[in-house]
Amino acid sequence: MSIEVKNLVKSFDDKTVINDISFKVDDGEVLAIVGFSGSGKSTVLKLICGLIPFDNGEVITSEGDIAMVFQYSALFDSLDVADNIAFALKERKDLRNKYSENEIRKIVSEKLELVGLKGIESKFPSELSGGMQKRVSFARAIVTKPNTILYDEPTAGLDPMSSTLIEDYIVSLKHEINAASIVVTHQMSTITRTADRVIMLYDGKIVFEGTPAELLKQETPYTKQFVTASLEGPMQMQA
Amino acid sequence: MINFSNKIQDSPQPHGAGVNIFKVLGERCRLIVYTVFYFLYNLVMIVLQKYLKQSATYKIFSHLLVVLAGFLETLGQIAQLGFHTLKCVLKGEIDRKELIIQCDRFGVSSLPITLSIVGMTSIIVASQVANEMVKQGGGNFVGMLMTILIVREVGSIMSGFAITSMIGSSLASELATMRVTEQVDAIKVLDVDPVRYLFVPRVLSGAIMMPFVVILASVVGVILGAVTSDMFAGLSYRAYFDSAGLGLFMKDLGVCLLKSVVFGAAIALISCTCGYHASGGAKGVGLATTKAVVWSFISVVVLDMVFAILFFF
Repeated sequence: MSIEVKNLVKSFDDKTVINDISFKVDDGEVLAIVGFSGSGKSTVLKLICGLIPFDNGEVITSEGDIAMVFQYSALFDSLDVADNIAFALKERKDLRNKYSENEIRKIVSEKLELVGLKGIESKFPSELSGGMQKRVSFARAIVTKPNTILYDEPTAGLDPMSSTLIEDYIVSLKHEINAASIVVTHQMSTITRTADRVIMLYDGKIVFEGTPAELLKQETPYTKQFVTASLEGPMQMQA
Repeated sequence: MINFSNKIQDSPQPHGAGVNIFKVLGERCRLIVYTVFYFLYNLVMIVLQKYLKQSATYKIFSHLLVVLAGFLETLGQIAQLGFHTLKCVLKGEIDRKELIIQCDRFGVSSLPITLSIVGMTSIIVASQVANEMVKQGGGNFVGMLMTILIVREVGSIMSGFAITSMIGSSLASELATMRVTEQVDAIKVLDVDPVRYLFVPRVLSGAIMMPFVVILASVVGVILGAVTSDMFAGLSYRAYFDSAGLGLFMKDLGVCLLKSVVFGAAIALISCTCGYHASGGAKGVGLATTKAVVWSFISVVVLDMVFAILFFF
């Protein structure tokens, strides 16, 4: 198993945002974390990759890197696309002197080709569309061959075609590098097209765990409310 | 609420000694006094919390405590990141390419504004001082006065203010934007030390370039002082420059250079720290930039005072 989360708890001030959640993701598996805005989905990803410390619990990962594709791409706007992708290869302590300039250029070109953006090495993030930025962000995330990839709302704000393209990349990356992937999303197309399993968060707790097909069956009040996007149900939007 | 935990310790009796009745009574009295004090303290606190919470005094004091907590927090952040930066520098973890870029930004691009500010300050001071001194028969000391003033204080402190307003604000807003757009998070997730990547070249460039800026600014200041003295008081250049070197010693130059190194590093470190800890969106970037400028200004004055006390008292 590539990643296991055990009894994770996180509070901000007096509010418990993540309340004792546990799950596992195997190599080559995609887990979708779904839920309404403010349910703690992105917080789970930040806890897993260590951006924020958790109060209690455990995150167990097998050896290797964790990569993250951020909701708004988070590309370095002062660096061009090539430098963005090569950032870890040039700046990370253990990789800094491992590759020559030519090797780095080749790796960058390969990764860009993988996400269908060959030849844009010298462009800056501000010159790219939202979808292209997201794909560059993918290329940057996989450059170190991680064994866990975290996607924070990878298709949010994209047009349907770009969303489909991104969803296809998530699936192809799963086969390509056999990484354990966690996708935080609330888009149904992303859930059904990419995920092997789904967990639903509400009020910091897991209220549903199953396959995308089981989610669509709407057998619990939570899944029914989520799939039908109804305001009536056990989940209340927070003011 | 405070918790006074107390218990009477049975001290070991010396061999053959009996029970000391006065000692036991003393301990019992102490316990009673503590218990009474504990209850009174809690009672006062309850009354204070219940009735004084709405009072203006309570609000002022609680606001002051919040301000003090924020001040200490920022001070702690600066110390922590400064120590981390120093550790990276001592380990030689320096990105030379980025260092050159930052040196250009710190030293070269800031030069016009720094020279203008120091130069104009010299003109203002010379125009006020030269005329009066010539009238009082002290014309031969105008050069000495101006040089001491510029080398010891004006050159470094006004350059510090100029660098703060131009470079400090830009460093803070740059890092704050990186923070709010998750670029700093991306650096961390990519397993790169953000302090090594962001702080080291910026702080080091401040420490390296500031002395050059201060030297150039001081030279410009002294020359403009001579020009102004000539124009306003009719003091010859010869008389000005003859006395210019009289009051100046190697110690002054050394302290000036040391001070400028410290100012440069402090401005860069404070600005980077304020930007690095920004939160929220555009408003957070604005607040971080303001905080960086205010803290840098204050630190320049405080450090200058420390140098004055250490070297010229």
